[in-house]
Amino acid sequence: MEIKGEYKIAAPRDKVFAALNDQAILQACIPGCETLEKLSDTEMTAKVRLRIGPVSAGFSGKVTLSDIDPPNGYKISGEGQGGVAGFAKGGAVVKLTEDAGETLLSYEVDAQVGGKIAQVGARLIQGTAKKLADQFFGKFAESVGAPPPVAAA
Amino acid sequence: MYDFAYHRPKSLADAVATLKGKEEARPMSGGMTLIPTLKQRLAKPSDVVDLGGIAELAGIKVAGDVVTIGAMTKHYDVSVSPDVKKIIPALADLAGHIGDPAVRNRGTMGGSVANSDPAADYPAAVVALNATITTNTGKHPADGFFKGLFETALKDGELITAISFPKPEKAAYMKFPNPASRYAMVGVFVAKTKDGVRVAVTGAGSAVFRVKAMEDALSKNFTSAAIKDIKIPATDLNSDIHGSAEYRAHLVGVMARRAVDAANK
Repeated sequence: MEIKGEYKIAAPRDKVFAALNDQAILQACIPGCETLEKLSDTEMTAKVRLRIGPVSAGFSGKVTLSDIDPPNGYKISGEGQGGVAGFAKGGAVVKLTEDAGETLLSYEVDAQVGGKIAQVGARLIQGTAKKLADQFFGKFAESVGAPPPVAAA
Repeated sequence: MYDFAYHRPKSLADAVATLKGKEEARPMSGGMTLIPTLKQRLAKPSDVVDLGGIAELAGIKVAGDVVTIGAMTKHYDVSVSPDVKKIIPALADLAGHIGDPAVRNRGTMGGSVANSDPAADYPAAVVALNATITTNTGKHPADGFFKGLFETALKDGELITAISFPKPEKAAYMKFPNPASRYAMVGVFVAKTKDGVRVAVTGAGSAVFRVKAMEDALSKNFTSAAIKDIKIPATDLNSDIHGSAEYRAHLVGVMARRAVDAANK
C-alpha cells in the first residue's frame, strides 16, 4: 500500500527541514501522540493513541529518522506494538523542493499493519493510513508555514 | 472483551446525561460495529450507553412529502414500511439489502449514519435525497455531514434522533456488494429532486461523496446515456484486496448508469 501527497509550505526550505527534525513539532503533529522522547538525534520513542471510528488502540514504539539529506529530505519511520490489537509499521519518504521562496513538501508513505487490526480492518487500512498521513502533514504544513497550505493533495 | 459499565436509559435526556463528562463512554445503537470491535478488544470504553430502550427514537412518521425515520429504527422496519415503500421505494429497497438478515434486524439507521463507515449504504441515501439529520442539539444538512472515514459533523455527546427524507421525483440505489459482507464495494444513489439531480457514491472513497459532472449531465437529460462518457478519476479512491481504485472508479460509472435506468423504470 502506498500513499502519496504534496503540501506547499509558506516557509524557506531550511526552516522546513529544521522543523522536520524538531521533536516538539513532530510530537504536536503525529496524530494521537501522547509522548515522544528523544533517544538520539535519529531515534525517538513514542506513545500514540489512535481513535478511528469504533476502534481505539494505544501503540508504543520507535520513531527513526534515516537517509538524512539536509535540506532535501529524509525518511521517517515508525514501528509500534499495540498489544492485542496488533502492530503497525510505516515510513514516509519526505522530499523538499524550493519553489519561489516557499517549499513544496512531497511524501510517499508505505505502511504495514498486522495482527487483529489487520484481520478485522483490512478494508479500512488504506483509508486510515491516508487519513493519518494527511493529518500529520497537514498539521505540519500549518505549524511551520503561515498562512495554512493552499492545496492539499 | 474488556470490562465496561453498561447503561440502558429509557429516555434521550437520560442517555445524554449518562454520556456527559465521560470521555471514554460510547453510545451504542444496534451495536453492529461496536460489539465486534469490543469482542476483538480493539476498543476499551469505560461505559456503553445502549440506546435500544429509548422508545421515542424509533418509528417512521410521514408529514406531507417528507418521511422522518427515528434514529433507532431498524433496517428491516424501513425495508417493509408501507409508508417508505410508497413515498421513497428506493430507500426501502436499499434498507432491504444492507448486510444480512441478522444485521437488518439489529442495525439502525442512526447508528449507520453516525458511524460513517466508508462502505455503509445509508449515507448514500442521506446525501442523494438531501435529507436532514436531527440531533439532540440541532439539525444538520446532508451536505457537509459526512466528513471522512468514520468522521461526521456530530460533536462528542451529540446523538442523532431522526433523519427526514423529502420525497424525490425519481430515485434508485444500485450497489456492487462484497459477496461476503454485503458491504458496498461501490454503491450509487441517484435521485431526481425538484432542486436537480443528486448522485451520491459510497464504498469508493473515505466517505460518501457527490459526483457533480454526473449531476449536471443528468439534470439536463435524465438517462443513463447522458453519463456514459463520464469517467471518475481513481485518485483518492479506496483500494484493498477486494478491488483496486481503478476498478472502483469503473464501478461508479456502471452502478450510476444502472441506478438511472432503475429510477426510470
